[in-house]
Amino acid sequence: MGAASLNGLVFRLARTDGGIGKVTSDVKGGVAGVEPRLKALMLKGLDGDRAAQAELLSQLSRYLRAYFARRLGRDATDVEDLVQEALLAVHLKRASYDRGQPFTPWAYGVARYKLLDHFRRVGSRAETPLEDADALFAADDAAPREARRDLGRLLGSLPERQRNLVLDVKITGLSIEEASAKSGMSASAVKVSIHRAVQAMARRVRDEHG
Amino acid sequence: MNTDDLIATLAADAAPVPRGAVWGRWSLAVLLALAVSVAAMMAALGVRPDMHHAMRTSPFWMKTGYTLTLGLAGLLLVERAGRPGVRLGWGLALAAAALAVIAGLASHELMALPRSAWHADMMGDSAQVCPWRILAISAPVFLIVMLTLRRMAPTRPAIAGAAAGLLASGLGATVYGMHCTETAAAFTALWYTLGMALWPVVGALIGRLTLRW
Repeated sequence: MGAASLNGLVFRLARTDGGIGKVTSDVKGGVAGVEPRLKALMLKGLDGDRAAQAELLSQLSRYLRAYFARRLGRDATDVEDLVQEALLAVHLKRASYDRGQPFTPWAYGVARYKLLDHFRRVGSRAETPLEDADALFAADDAAPREARRDLGRLLGSLPERQRNLVLDVKITGLSIEEASAKSGMSASAVKVSIHRAVQAMARRVRDEHG
Repeated sequence: MNTDDLIATLAADAAPVPRGAVWGRWSLAVLLALAVSVAAMMAALGVRPDMHHAMRTSPFWMKTGYTLTLGLAGLLLVERAGRPGVRLGWGLALAAAALAVIAGLASHELMALPRSAWHADMMGDSAQVCPWRILAISAPVFLIVMLTLRRMAPTRPAIAGAAAGLLASGLGATVYGMHCTETAAAFTALWYTLGMALWPVVGALIGRLTLRW
């Protein structure tokens, strides 16, 4: 335990030095300001606002990265995999969020579950104390690491039309309507294709859990 | 695929989620489960012939009230257990209250009887088959409830599985109550409770394996 906490201390020192990633206490308004900001984005996302959903996932990814890095240790190579896994879960399970409840405990619940699942998978006995939701939002880290699991490769195995649509929407940043016009598919067919691609990615993540 | 690309892909997939989507799914699951278990009960056992009369007697409503309350407690618990970051709420207290009430009614009933009549009161005519039938009628309900739960996000899988079992057992026992003609509170407290105990235990044990997401 002594070595682990010393390691944690060194890790914190290194990070405040700007050694790894960019760490700031919080961008706007401290931890207390996080809840209303993220909840507003989540509610818009649930109503189908894609820009709000992108912004929510983007902001969450920074908190998740810092949280997982803190829990897995400095040398962990799977931080970015876990970040992506948690983002997939946040997205796929968003219907389980009750609009009347605070958002940050929900997000923390998802993140902690994914962390526990990871520890169980790799047979780690590391502890994951049940903390306040603030544990997830105490720090953020905007610098993505290399993900080991390549979800992009999976796109290569999708049917060509599906793959092109996803590439159009994600790389070129086309709207659903633009992608629909370009491909000659209806907007709802575009949505179905993208949804299938997301489902396939989720399946890949699940299968790798073995 | 880097994380920004993933985010862009996911955001493009952000279809609107209707308000009350979770309760909608649970209502559908409960209705479907009820239909299946009522059909199974009617095909295998049949509704008690004196149903019309029974519906005007208090033992029928005592049994129905007991099992339905446990089912409701299970529903409240499983709905909460399927959502990250919320407290479990009143479901557990409701289940405990139902158990306390049936235990109270049973002891009250037994106290009014001579000791020599206790055995007959507790065993009724169907003690040997009652728990097994409740178990069997609850089985399809349990399956439907677990499949619904898999679409949620249970972060406490053992608790979620147990709650699913409680919902299934409560509904199954309520449906079985439309066939069973036993009237004693002591019988209900013993054999109904026993029949309703298995699925929650199974749910708690298999939750960790089957409810992963």
